[in-house]
Amino acid sequence: MTPLSASDASPASRTRGLSRRSLRQMYVVLRKELRDASRDRRALMTLMFTAIFTPALLGFMLNRIADRERRQDDVQIPILGVEHAPVLIDWLRQQAGVKIVSGPADPEKAVREGEDVVVVITPEFAKKFRSASPAEVKIVSDGSRSASRPKVKRVRDLLQRYSAEIGSMRLVARGVTPSISSPLRLEDVEVSSAQQRAAQILNFIPLFIVIAAFTGGMQIAMDSTAGERERGSLEPLLVNPAPRSVFVLGKWLAASVSSVLSVVLTTGLSIAMLKFIPLQELGIRFRLGAPEVAGLLAAGLPMCFLSTGLQSYAATFARSFKEAQSYMGFLMMAPMLPGVMSTLYPLGDQAWMYPIPMIGQQVLLAAVLGGRQVGVLGFVVAAAGALAAAAVLVRLTTALFHREQIIFSR
Amino acid sequence: MIVVENLHKRFGVVKAVGGVSFTARDGGVTGLLGPNGAGKTTTLRMIYALMQPDEGRILVDDVDAAGDPQGVQARVGVLPDVSGLYPRLTAREHIDYYGELHGLSGARLDERARWLIDTLDMGSIADRRTRGFSHGERTKVALARALVHNPGNILLDEPTNGLDVMSTRAVREIIRRLRDEGRCVLFSSHVMQEVSALCDTIVVIAKGTVAAMGTPDELRQMTGRENLEDAFVALSGLEGDEPREEAVR
Repeated sequence: MTPLSASDASPASRTRGLSRRSLRQMYVVLRKELRDASRDRRALMTLMFTAIFTPALLGFMLNRIADRERRQDDVQIPILGVEHAPVLIDWLRQQAGVKIVSGPADPEKAVREGEDVVVVITPEFAKKFRSASPAEVKIVSDGSRSASRPKVKRVRDLLQRYSAEIGSMRLVARGVTPSISSPLRLEDVEVSSAQQRAAQILNFIPLFIVIAAFTGGMQIAMDSTAGERERGSLEPLLVNPAPRSVFVLGKWLAASVSSVLSVVLTTGLSIAMLKFIPLQELGIRFRLGAPEVAGLLAAGLPMCFLSTGLQSYAATFARSFKEAQSYMGFLMMAPMLPGVMSTLYPLGDQAWMYPIPMIGQQVLLAAVLGGRQVGVLGFVVAAAGALAAAAVLVRLTTALFHREQIIFSR
Repeated sequence: MIVVENLHKRFGVVKAVGGVSFTARDGGVTGLLGPNGAGKTTTLRMIYALMQPDEGRILVDDVDAAGDPQGVQARVGVLPDVSGLYPRLTAREHIDYYGELHGLSGARLDERARWLIDTLDMGSIADRRTRGFSHGERTKVALARALVHNPGNILLDEPTNGLDVMSTRAVREIIRRLRDEGRCVLFSSHVMQEVSALCDTIVVIAKGTVAAMGTPDELRQMTGRENLEDAFVALSGLEGDEPREEAVR
């Protein structure tokens, strides 16, 4: 009556090795879970949200930095008393990115009400300037407002430069070398620049890839284990003649496929988005070629199989989808921790880190983005570490699927 | 044919099944009759090899459940106590899923699915997703997927529980039909009329053991009660007894 031969379902094939029949069954489970998830609005939303939100956020942050940088270049200076110092005003107008407008009648009130800076030139300016005594120029600003500081500094620098130029000319006119009045030559070396801030944001990309790997397969991992228990569909499913490992592998692979898709989408869209950001304007040299994309994926993808393995294992303990979700919150900490730790205690990248699951992946992702050269061996070792951990988790999950308390209790 | 010999199963300190033996023959309907918590579900779970007995032996068509659980599972069609469906899959996809897990595919599977959909009168719901199905419709889907591989032995755990009159009649009709095709049908119930109307053999289970076994007539004679319900109450020693929690917790 039944078309099965005894050898297909012998106890030996139950635990060791996957026969062709088992592989076929595994594919059937995998396909069912993917079809089921493709109709699950929640699963699709999670996937789309991560894939689109990440590049969007990245682009937004980088654009803001670029904007602020541009805005700082173009400075508009309100000046009260333009008519008293026509030469100074002409000089200022010739400076790149400087625009002069006539200032408000009450500069202090204007600053208090939100103006960043107002320059006041007093009526005595011309007289004092001509007699070569210090002519007064007031810079009205609010020192407690950090947002105005760059602009105030810019104005002060401009005026000081003018002052220095005039001073030098006066010395030359009197036959004195101007350098005699400059015992020190100060040179600013700015290290915290827009370039750095932008580079810091690019450093988020590995974190985004980790999140994509983690969220991408989560819905399937939960729905195919805890969800199956909650609905009471696990018991009838397991009556089908297949080794438990077949069900677990099929479900795990389905979740992994979704996770891989999430990582590929997130990485691809992030890189595509970066092409539209004027990174050169920010002074960032960031190569976006195919080798970098391949490197990011080679570093990130093994994480998909590990995170879905972890999620499937944890969710199998849960009797309901909701219970599983509460476990996922804790699990999210696992991949984040190395990332957070590395910002606090920079470990650099050392060979011993590669085989450690999760850490190896994040070190590699950072290395690829940083343009450092990593040998193929590094990628292989890191992938092997993550996949070995995933295999252990799948085995543990299979053991859970043998437990009567898991199969029957709801 | 299903042969059960001296089954024992305990959960911690609770003895769920303590020495159940019976034979369910092909071409007959065998009913496991007993109150809630008597051990019916546990017995069935051990037969379809999702639960391991502590002691005893189960043979399904001469295949040993302990030695070859998948061999047994390939030979049985099971409607478990709880038979959840996938709300996002259609009725037909449920049948196809189980069919493919049993190694069916292509035209053979299509034909089998069509036959089940016709026989169970599911034509109008076959290609609808099962979210929102009535209890009767859900039972039909669960039954169809359990029968997709044309099993020689059919195990049904309280199949009519919670069904309305029409659905109950449909399930009974299927049971008779399966029997007439020469299959071995074993089902559990605590509903008296159902068992007396359908079964050739009744196995009365109480407190994890077989209290009595025989045809409905034999049971009436055995107890000297004309009414089968009275016979059942007498046999299972129910008077003044607290029913035990059945499910594994």
